[in-house]
Amino acid sequence: MKKYLYMFIATLALASTALAVDSQIWGEMRIQNILGYGQEESLKLGPLFTMLQHQYFAWIFLGVLIGVPGAFFLHYKIIGPKVFPHSEKKYYAFNLYNRIIHQIAAISFIVIVPTGFVIVFGDFFGGGMFVRFCKNLHGLFTIPFTIVVIPMALMWLKEALFNLDDVKWFMILGGYLSKEKKPILAGKFNAGQKMWYWVAILGGITMILSGAFMFFLDFKMEMLHNVTGMSQIDMLRAAAIIHNVMGFAVVALFITHIYMSMFAIKGAVQSIITGYVEEEEVKILHSTWYKKLKDQGKF
Amino acid sequence: MEYARMKFYCDEHRCIECDGCSVACAEAHELPVGIARRKVITINEGIPGKEFSTSIACMHCTDAPCEQVCPVDCFYIREDGIVLHDKEKCIGCGYCLYACPFGAPQFPREGIFGAKGAMDKCTMCAGGPLETNSEKERHLYGQNRIAEGKVPVCAAMCSTKALLVGDSESVSAIIRARVSSRAKGASNPLVWDKAYKNQ
Repeated sequence: MKKYLYMFIATLALASTALAVDSQIWGEMRIQNILGYGQEESLKLGPLFTMLQHQYFAWIFLGVLIGVPGAFFLHYKIIGPKVFPHSEKKYYAFNLYNRIIHQIAAISFIVIVPTGFVIVFGDFFGGGMFVRFCKNLHGLFTIPFTIVVIPMALMWLKEALFNLDDVKWFMILGGYLSKEKKPILAGKFNAGQKMWYWVAILGGITMILSGAFMFFLDFKMEMLHNVTGMSQIDMLRAAAIIHNVMGFAVVALFITHIYMSMFAIKGAVQSIITGYVEEEEVKILHSTWYKKLKDQGKF
Repeated sequence: MEYARMKFYCDEHRCIECDGCSVACAEAHELPVGIARRKVITINEGIPGKEFSTSIACMHCTDAPCEQVCPVDCFYIREDGIVLHDKEKCIGCGYCLYACPFGAPQFPREGIFGAKGAMDKCTMCAGGPLETNSEKERHLYGQNRIAEGKVPVCAAMCSTKALLVGDSESVSAIIRARVSSRAKGASNPLVWDKAYKNQ
């Protein structure tokens, strides 16, 4: 873990020294950037970013912000939450390390996601001090997430690999469309949780990198220019597009994650706070895992 | 009343890469070190017959892309076409830079985290949204020469009169006169088509 932290700090230091030496945007490169804008054989990232940001991004974010909680509100009203007795036997599933890592990521997301929305709807908030403050928080709380994202990826990697259970889980959408309490095939994590794992980890890393690009703005990484064949300004445009598009997925699944843990399955959030999962809950929602634990005599 | 449409024009046959415009701009507006609202660039450097220089700043585009992408809507386009922005609204996100074909928006670093500060760009010497010629306007945006009926400082200072600024009809009239006396085919300068969509 320390290794990654050092790597991160080294990247920051390198990026900021490169910044002072020669500008990739306002220096000599500016000529190429001007000549390259909107050229026929290029990706036309400048006009593409302008079109997307002008006409689509904010509306899609608004759609996600209203649509996803709206769908869950209907689900809550029509199908309702799953309630399991919480007095039965428990199994210690998440140790202190797991919980600390998760909680650091959780706090980061609780700050990063709403401040991201404030930036997207900056005109609604009138810009200025408040939005600027949110923009700074948005960047600042990326640091704790950056620190825990690799440990989190490693500690749950085995449980997050997809298998045959997940196909069946997706066919019935995890049983969330019925009120019945039938055992559902799933390991420690069900297919929905796995999906969130991959979006949070891979999507999260993508968000960190594209966000860092936009934060540091003017730096030179020869290797990146050679690999992508893009100029710095085009990479910034690509970063802005990727940051927004990936944002749709991360936000949609983040809202889902909160709904599932806080509302859809009553008291499920307790398991990541105390570390204990309830027998009934595991038996129904993670039946494959339950069988394994039962065989091992854990329940 | 029909307003004039203000445009920049840099005559590539006349620009001698003296950098007078960018120095004049930086001095007149007391720009911080590292910020250059105007810059002289040379294209095809060293290739005989093809080399030329031109002066670049915010071109005050028709359908300004910066204005389209700003998440806090801090840009406004005056009736005369000058594209200005409100620095007190700006959050320094950098989107306007990504949208700009000319790399005009710049960001002074500020604060303990070195975050991007409010964007800075050429105002065509027309200040900002604050009270005209107030001390605060001068501090944030530089001189407001347009309000005083003066030519923007870069063009006023240009020794070869390569850099022209004014309403599009007056600028076109000067260019027409120059082209006809040169007896050479007319051609639009480097950035003209992108900025004004041939209007």
